[in-house]
Amino acid sequence: MNLEELEKQVQLQEDIQEIEHLQRTYGYYFDNNMWAEILDLFSDNAESVEIVDHGVFYGKKGVERVYVDMIGGKGRGPSPTWMQFIVMQIGAVIDVSPDGKTAKGRWQTWLCEAKPYGAYPRQEWLHGYYENKYVKEDGRWKFSLLHWNNTFCSPFEDGWMNLPLMGWMPAPDADAPPTAFHPYPSGYHVPYHYKHPITGE
Amino acid sequence: MNLEELEKQVTLQEDIQEIEHLQKLYGYYFDNGMYQEVIDLFSENTESVEITDHGVFRGKEGLIKMYGGMIGMPRPGWMFFEVMQSQGVIEVAPDGKTATGRWYTPSFECRPFGGTKKQTWQFGVYDNEYIKENGKWYFKKLHWNLTYWTSFERGFLKVPRLSDTPFPHADAPATAYHPYPSGYHVPYPFKHPVTGE
Repeated sequence: MNLEELEKQVQLQEDIQEIEHLQRTYGYYFDNNMWAEILDLFSDNAESVEIVDHGVFYGKKGVERVYVDMIGGKGRGPSPTWMQFIVMQIGAVIDVSPDGKTAKGRWQTWLCEAKPYGAYPRQEWLHGYYENKYVKEDGRWKFSLLHWNNTFCSPFEDGWMNLPLMGWMPAPDADAPPTAFHPYPSGYHVPYHYKHPITGE
Repeated sequence: MNLEELEKQVTLQEDIQEIEHLQKLYGYYFDNGMYQEVIDLFSENTESVEITDHGVFRGKEGLIKMYGGMIGMPRPGWMFFEVMQSQGVIEVAPDGKTATGRWYTPSFECRPFGGTKKQTWQFGVYDNEYIKENGKWYFKKLHWNLTYWTSFERGFLKVPRLSDTPFPHADAPATAYHPYPSGYHVPYPFKHPVTGE
């Protein structure tokens, strides 16, 4: 192997590492309602964000609307401290394109949440899958597309079998309705971005 | 450092990365009941597969005996196994041909239980081996040790395991089935990184 080939291989390992960090950093900011920091993790040329059944938000403007205005509740003031969204970013499978400029990643997530339902705080378990896209710009990896597919959102007390979904949450100002929202027990499989490593299928 | 030494170090990092992907892909196929895809992740020279107290299935033939019957079997939407492949510690042998991996697996499940269905929490530890053949990593040995398998409602303290599940067609009985609260520790494939013991 010559130096140039080796450099390419090292580059790939660095890319995977950086993308894994990017995704986990997103999670650690999300935990703490740091929406401005999340916005800065997205490319200015971001394609879209789609989270549960909120719908699709296009472009960097859409990214800002979904995180800062909607989830972050712009103008709503600080969240009470009992409200929490702990999103564990688990099981990264990152595939960088041959030109090293874009990448795709599948993750799964386990969440512990507490949020208001009407007048009452509820504690809940959630599970879901990401199929995300990343882009390298000026030597840095950023999100270009984020899609989080919810498997279940269930009360801590009842569980996914008894209450798979705590409620519908379509966002009225989304650019488009959700493209794939089929929570448990639909049996829906979030499509894989990758081929089988051995059979290539 | 010369080029050859550097190449070795890069290969080690690539190996760890590929093995981590292999294990997570196994999880993502298993989630969706894609058992043919699961079987294809195993080497032709597979040693064995052992899952909880199902027993030991030897060789690629044993593997097919274990998973093969489930290929294409329709599954109701409510039946699911979300197994989170977490915290890989991968150690590649100095010759770069084999490796070991220890993982944690928290999981959510819902499955039939007698005439009814049950939602359950599971937790366990993988102690796996991998082999590199023709430049690709495969599973050589998979061993999943159950810590607990409990009902969602009651928890591991009250119900550490819901039942025993030995498979009558296994090649040998389970070699290590010591669920909570036995205090059993799955042996470590690795040495202590600082003391070397």
